[in-house]
Amino acid sequence: MGRFSITRRNFIASVGATAVAAPLCTPAIAQGVKPIKIGLVTSLSGAYAGMGESMRAGLQLFLAEQKNSFAGRPIELIVEDDQLKTDEGVRKFRKLIGQDNVDFICGVISSGIALAIRDVVAESKTLTFISTGSANDLARKAASPYIFRPTKTNWMLGSTAGQWAADKVSKSGCLTLAADYAAGREYVGDFVDSYQKLGGKVVKQVWAPLGTTDFAPILTTIAAEQPEFIYSFFASGDAVRFLQQFSDFRLGGKVKLVGTGALFDQEDVLPAVGDAALGGVSTYHQSPTAPASKAFAETYLKARGRLPGEASSSGYATGQVIKTALERVQGDPSNKEKFREAVLSGATDTIYGPMTFDPRNNQAILDIYVNEVRKGADGKPINTVIHTFKQVKDPGPGA
Amino acid sequence: MAFYLIQTLNALSFSVLLMLAGLGLAVVLSLMNFVNLTHGSFFLLGSYIAVYWFSSGMPWWLAFPVAFAATGAIGFLLDRYPFSSFYERTHLMQVLLTFGLSVVFADLMRWQFGGDVAAPRIPDVLRGVVFILNIPFPIYRLFMIVFGFLLAGGLWFLVDRTIWGAVVRACVTDRKFLETLGINTKTVFTAVLALSAGLGGVAGALGSGMLAAHPGLDEEVLLLALIVVVVGGLGTFRGTIISALLLGFSFTFGRVWVPEYSNFIALAVMAALLVLAPQGLVVPKLRRV
Repeated sequence: MGRFSITRRNFIASVGATAVAAPLCTPAIAQGVKPIKIGLVTSLSGAYAGMGESMRAGLQLFLAEQKNSFAGRPIELIVEDDQLKTDEGVRKFRKLIGQDNVDFICGVISSGIALAIRDVVAESKTLTFISTGSANDLARKAASPYIFRPTKTNWMLGSTAGQWAADKVSKSGCLTLAADYAAGREYVGDFVDSYQKLGGKVVKQVWAPLGTTDFAPILTTIAAEQPEFIYSFFASGDAVRFLQQFSDFRLGGKVKLVGTGALFDQEDVLPAVGDAALGGVSTYHQSPTAPASKAFAETYLKARGRLPGEASSSGYATGQVIKTALERVQGDPSNKEKFREAVLSGATDTIYGPMTFDPRNNQAILDIYVNEVRKGADGKPINTVIHTFKQVKDPGPGA
Repeated sequence: MAFYLIQTLNALSFSVLLMLAGLGLAVVLSLMNFVNLTHGSFFLLGSYIAVYWFSSGMPWWLAFPVAFAATGAIGFLLDRYPFSSFYERTHLMQVLLTFGLSVVFADLMRWQFGGDVAAPRIPDVLRGVVFILNIPFPIYRLFMIVFGFLLAGGLWFLVDRTIWGAVVRACVTDRKFLETLGINTKTVFTAVLALSAGLGGVAGALGSGMLAAHPGLDEEVLLLALIVVVVGGLGTFRGTIISALLLGFSFTFGRVWVPEYSNFIALAVMAALLVLAPQGLVVPKLRRV
């Protein structure tokens, strides 16, 4: 028997394979167009699992609204879990690029992972959208022509908070308290810079290790120190614990809390802490009460029974940016230079507000909202826009 | 003065949490020589139970017995299968089994309760603060301290001063001999495991008011509990309690004086103790014939 003769076993195997493969191929053939493949890398396990699920839900909601098609091409979404680990994130990027041949990759919550995948996507020239990771360096030293950043940088939130605090809160008696890792150091550093430039005085700086379980010792220190207000950054579980214990120790009415948006995130913090967050002020590029995101907030509330925070909004907004850019290149992203120009040319209407990109570093220029946590119409706390800093732009590579 | 008094209370409330988490683990490790890495899962499950119970409108104090019963029952089932066949095996095998199970439990809980942080609605009675020389201190933490020490005291009495405790201790020293007296040692081990799981659940229920409940909490707590047990030494209650207090106080005062190095300080203290007293802080007196 020759090498290619059909044995009974081969025959059965190949018929079986065709039977399995056929339904997978038909939709694309039927519509006559190859689908656009989008890889979403997000954290579906580990400390930010809740955020990861929200990000996926946000993007899926947008895809469903667009009937799974951008610029006439069907969309195939492949979701991967980076487990909030750098090496796992890199592995998932390699898999999406090498094995799935995706057209775009988006997502990424952790700045650490966003920094680590830079060389991987530069090598393969994969068009990448970082939806949440916001370390300043991503828009500065580590900027890359293939990486777009439809999100804020830490500087954009920290410096606006400094301005707001100096103008509207107090020029004296400021205590900073933040999680002691790269993000906390950047937020507080940028806050202090802009606050001091406007004549603000910082009394004391306190750093709490990441994942601090018990804030009591620090809160007692604050109670004894009696600052006028606190500028603070914590995220997710740390934020919930901090706010809960802050109100347990009755500091709520006495010391005003100013923070980065993550401290009062509408989705993963406010529902858990309830009234403990009332009166808190934060700067964020996202707000459920911003005019641009009102419609989205309603559909999201219907779909998941809660208002959107940053993570879900970032999934949705990333979808909007990809769709608009694809329409500008008539659904053909194969020429990467042309696609890049399409993303950079003109504003995209997103749920964050109008979004334009800085051509130096592909960083979004965004409206930054000052949100105050107030009681909504249903009695639940809601981030309410009290001021908008228009079109805030990161200083970029020169800074 | 008041400042340090409050900080001492802060340290005590954190120590109680460490102690309760550590005691459950220590009971199984020292009495049964079984490394149970699912202990953090019991803690987290207890936290979730308390969060849901507090918001259900039922009498709040029932949350603790319910958490104890529910996690104890799971401990009982796990003892039936597969734990009991691993009691005689090496520690490495036990670690493999229980670590694997803890990962499975973490996923099951994330699937059931979601990935978000769930904070309990603390019952109104415990929600206030007491002012100690003008610095507020939450009543819930006082409750934790009292409840925790009562629980630890009760456990000490049970194991050290009652006939059941004597049976368990005898079972550890010479299992075969105990069998000749007509005591079924398998039942004894089952009871101890269920008790330890239940303790983990109660500790979680109590801790939820301070730490909230969220994925990942199981690992955090397990790590702290392991440190407490290892530094404290096996086979004694006093060891676990003293080491929980030491860890709690060094964490707390680390955060008072140099917050950014508090983890380093607390763990350095524990490491130093381990070097100075490799057998644990309190070494039980053993008489061998």
